[in-house]
Amino acid sequence: MTAGAPTTIDPVTLEIVWTRIGSMVDEAAKVIARTAFSTLSNEANDFACVLTDARGNSLAENTGSIPSFIATLPATVRHMIAGIGVERMRPGDVLVTNNPWQGTGHLNDVCLVRPIFREGRLVAFGASTSHVPDIGGKIRSIEPKELFEEGFHIPLMHLLRAGEPDESLLTLLRTNVRTPDQTVGDIFAQVGALDLLERRLGEMMADYGLASLEAIADALFARAEAAMRKAIAALPDGTWRYEMTTDGLDEPFTIKVAVTVAGSDIAIDYAGTSPQQPRAVNTVWAYTYAMSAYAVKCLLLPNLPNNAGMFRSLTVTAPEGSLVNPRFPASCGGRASVGHYLPVAIFAAMEEAVPDRVMAGAGSPLWILTQTGIRDNGMTYANVLFFNGGMGALREKDGESCLSWPSNISSTPVEVAERNSPLVFRHKRLRPGSGGAGRHRGGLGQEILMENRSETPIAVGFITERTRFPAPGLAGGGPGGLGRVEINGKPVDNRLQHTLVKGDSILMATPGGGGYGDPRARPHALAERDRALGYIEEAPVQSPR
Amino acid sequence: MPDYSLGIDIGGTFTDIVVYDHGSGRQWSRKVLTTHGDPALGVIDGIAAILAAERLDAAGFRRVVHATTLFTNALIERKGAVTGLLTTKGFRDTLEIGRERKYELYDLAIANPPPLVPRDLRFEVAERIMADGAVEEALDEEGVLAAAAALAGRGVQALAILFLHSYRNPAHEEAARTLIARGFPDLFVTISSEVVREIREYERATTTVANAYVMPLATRYLERMAAEIAGLGLEAPLWLMLSNGGLTHVAEAQRRPVQMLESGPAAGALAAAFFGAADSGGDVLAFDMGGTTAKLSLIDKGEPLVAYGFEAARQKRFVEGSGLPIRISALDLIEIGAGGGSIARRDEIGLLKVGPESAGSEPGPAAYGRGGTAPTVTDANFLLGYLNPDFFAGGTMAIDLAAARDAIEGLARRLDLSPMATAWGIYDIVNENMVRAARVHVAERGRDPRHYQLVPTGGGGPVHGYYVAKKLGLTRLIVPPAAGVASAFGLLVAPIRVDRVATIGFRLDRHAPAALEAHFRALEEDARRTIADSGLVLDHIAVDRLVDGRYVGQGFELTVALPAGPYDRAPEDETRQRLAAAFEAGYRGKFARTPGRVPIEFTNIRTTLRAKVPGSARLGGAARHARGEALKGRRSAYFPELRRFVETPVYDRARLAPGEEYGGPALVEEDGSTLVLGPAGRLRVAASGNIIVEVE
Repeated sequence: MTAGAPTTIDPVTLEIVWTRIGSMVDEAAKVIARTAFSTLSNEANDFACVLTDARGNSLAENTGSIPSFIATLPATVRHMIAGIGVERMRPGDVLVTNNPWQGTGHLNDVCLVRPIFREGRLVAFGASTSHVPDIGGKIRSIEPKELFEEGFHIPLMHLLRAGEPDESLLTLLRTNVRTPDQTVGDIFAQVGALDLLERRLGEMMADYGLASLEAIADALFARAEAAMRKAIAALPDGTWRYEMTTDGLDEPFTIKVAVTVAGSDIAIDYAGTSPQQPRAVNTVWAYTYAMSAYAVKCLLLPNLPNNAGMFRSLTVTAPEGSLVNPRFPASCGGRASVGHYLPVAIFAAMEEAVPDRVMAGAGSPLWILTQTGIRDNGMTYANVLFFNGGMGALREKDGESCLSWPSNISSTPVEVAERNSPLVFRHKRLRPGSGGAGRHRGGLGQEILMENRSETPIAVGFITERTRFPAPGLAGGGPGGLGRVEINGKPVDNRLQHTLVKGDSILMATPGGGGYGDPRARPHALAERDRALGYIEEAPVQSPR
Repeated sequence: MPDYSLGIDIGGTFTDIVVYDHGSGRQWSRKVLTTHGDPALGVIDGIAAILAAERLDAAGFRRVVHATTLFTNALIERKGAVTGLLTTKGFRDTLEIGRERKYELYDLAIANPPPLVPRDLRFEVAERIMADGAVEEALDEEGVLAAAAALAGRGVQALAILFLHSYRNPAHEEAARTLIARGFPDLFVTISSEVVREIREYERATTTVANAYVMPLATRYLERMAAEIAGLGLEAPLWLMLSNGGLTHVAEAQRRPVQMLESGPAAGALAAAFFGAADSGGDVLAFDMGGTTAKLSLIDKGEPLVAYGFEAARQKRFVEGSGLPIRISALDLIEIGAGGGSIARRDEIGLLKVGPESAGSEPGPAAYGRGGTAPTVTDANFLLGYLNPDFFAGGTMAIDLAAARDAIEGLARRLDLSPMATAWGIYDIVNENMVRAARVHVAERGRDPRHYQLVPTGGGGPVHGYYVAKKLGLTRLIVPPAAGVASAFGLLVAPIRVDRVATIGFRLDRHAPAALEAHFRALEEDARRTIADSGLVLDHIAVDRLVDGRYVGQGFELTVALPAGPYDRAPEDETRQRLAAAFEAGYRGKFARTPGRVPIEFTNIRTTLRAKVPGSARLGGAARHARGEALKGRRSAYFPELRRFVETPVYDRARLAPGEEYGGPALVEEDGSTLVLGPAGRLRVAASGNIIVEVE
């Protein structure tokens, strides 16, 4: 079984070995989830773990890994192979980077790569990434104009040599971040996960008498590639385009996509998209690719676990210097505020080709509220809150209300938020009428009203989208409701930081999802339910009083 | 005077009834079909039948213990009461907005479970309590009564009340309940601070609402069950099994029925702990495999691990995050879609997949001959020679071997494999699926699987246990007798137990240990009152103190045991160090290292009170065996180590005597299951009646 052409490995052995590899990366992921300080890692799954073969082709990634990381870690492994060289890798080494272009698209995700050796031979790489609690630089906002303002930048380098950490690197890192213990702690949580991954791979290869993984890998990749090609080949050939306008900065942004299906290949091109910006909204190519691959997988092969073979038939291109393929040193901390639009644009383009599968525009990107201030006890604090809008409708289904998409970030419970910061919530409720009309309706956004109770002023910043251009409907469906940010009842510029004194209030209304199909064709029962439950504005349910 | 215990476990398909005679060590059991229309009927008939057949004196029963899936089923099937919800003004949608996370990333047609209370039955009242417990706005009492009147007018039978920060100050929830009890005495009311006194409003809401939703049903059902049992002449008190493996009395179960949701699986884990302890140090991995699912749980030193929350009624079965979060203590177990009925198929890339889809019991595996044509794990087990077609379910069920073979051969053709390679593939893959879940579960708890011994129960446990253990790197199995009904015996070994939790937000570096002591005392007093309600005089109550703690800045809490109190006697610094050391030890046990220099915060405190029920300690011991030759015959069975079918000795478990030893390969048959022993294994019958299997 150690040698032989891919086709000679039977479907039972492949399944067993693949399941076993899947369980290894899941086990390693649990180590990160449970030992990380970052709430993003342990509650929002903002981390990932993969095993690649010796060439850097992904065999499996952990279950629940969010779409931002599709294919980014294997690419990081290949950057390490090219940039550091296999000949400079030894057992017990761990390589590190948080370069956005070679990593995941922003400095906060620190990526580690461990070369795994067996009997002196390089057989695989374990790789992981995790959003660390702080990486220095400006507090999360879109203000930085260059990468240099965004924090501590680690190029491709060794973190551990034969198990020994590079103390100079750690000292520099600790000096440059606000939370040295937590940031370094989270990086070593990843090292723990990679240790376990290496151990488990060794056990598995011993159990099955494997000297290398290439034969297994190639057999798996060939099967996944064939399945994706079959799904693509079932689509009509042609090119479909879509152009979407988004809130942008002073001027709106244009996101332009062309999807071309030719035989069993699919190509996605973003020519015509706005140029890169001197604000942290740029989406580096790795992230653009991940979001594009996510859209393709949702449409064509949602149930198959990812591996390197799955996306061999996909090509993604974007003009250099554009918002979706910026050049160094573009700032990119708020990459999601552009990147999350990409799957929506791809779906809208593909409506004609696969009308039964595409989703109307979602009330995303993710909404973020940051606050900094001084507590009554004199200590400074910083706090981040997340809120989500509604999902878009499908041809046969209403969109879900208030659900994180395409990412997967929970909102903080009100009781926890009030415990941790001086903002008191007056309401957090569904926004009736915010779902786009249609045969099937878009999901509802939500409205949150908060009041500042701090004796000293606090500063608040927003990352909020779809306040100017709503989530589009499909096939005649209406757009979702626009998002809204108000302070003391008045609309404010959501791209600026604002100062709140005691008694000031902030209202955040997240956008609804777009509808699908002609609203006049909406089934009577659904329309009745919407009225009875107050999901639409015409007949709100009255509380007694 | 005889001394009997009675256990009743109502499951989805079968109800198990077990009787244990503490004098002689004898036991009797009955499996009857669950009577879904009125579950008490089947139970009463079953008990009456055992009493008559074995001539047992009803007056000799000292205790009756009951577990049931009825309330879980009411949640899954949405057959609970019409329920209303009353919340703080501005927050009636908390129940519907939820955590805003997807349980599946790539499914655009994802659907969240609809809330148990629809939006038109969720009302708000003016009131506000702040995070520190201070009242900002007084409760609008007229508003409470107006809302209750409106909800009653809409046919609501049960009402849940959830006010923000009530875990810190329950005064408004309590006042609202009192008002409603006076004005609307027929409404069943649950307040959140009484069910789960814990921070995080969504999880508290789903737990409180689930309690209200099953409360009318539970109240009526438990009343009736107690009366029917008394009607048979049994004067023993009725105890109910809780999800945490403890027992409680009828009044408490009626108040907080949500605690009983996982009572059946809890009994199973307790049984594994009990049987396992007889022949090990008590560190065992319980592995219960039935027709549709397998359940796994870790047991340390005889104590099953406890989790402080689980999910009920998953929208998509087996998918984490798709159910209703229930924040109560429950035995920490995982359920996997792997059972005898699990269906094997060729997937979209041509690989062999097994489960989680199941043929269930209707039509069931092809071998049952009830019209099932999909190849299942059970069909593979017949083809591999592991199961005996002439002695399935003790010979009570006819097996259609040809149908099993047809089903497997069809799949083999689609995979381009031989039928036997396919059958072994099904067996091996379903094992790998269970092992994958076990590995992740064990890793999440910072344990090493190789440290444990496997206790297989259920019809499928012994059939798959040997090879599951091998994959996990375990070297020993403890196979209890009567694996098919073993879990019902768990009911008879459970202690009385009360768990309580409170959110306090205690900073170890800032707050006085005396305050922590006061919080624990208040919680323990509350728990003692619940035990005192039972009217039993219990000589010894064991009290455990635990905390959900974290290093400040972490987004989750870890539950660890604290040293016994009091914390207000020794000098403060000494006590602080003792508490910090306990937390650090627990943290290191799980994560291998501590972050250092970060202050520790205890978010929640937990207390567990346990008292042994008189008579429960003596169960077990005497192994029975029938006379005669244990070797029943031989049959051809497949073992991958030998790469072929071999004539394998088949033993009758009832005739195996303590001390007997056999090498593998071997098969050991009993009524409800068959033990499969691989070629490199050895088995030995222990004095306890367990079979001990050494793997290699």
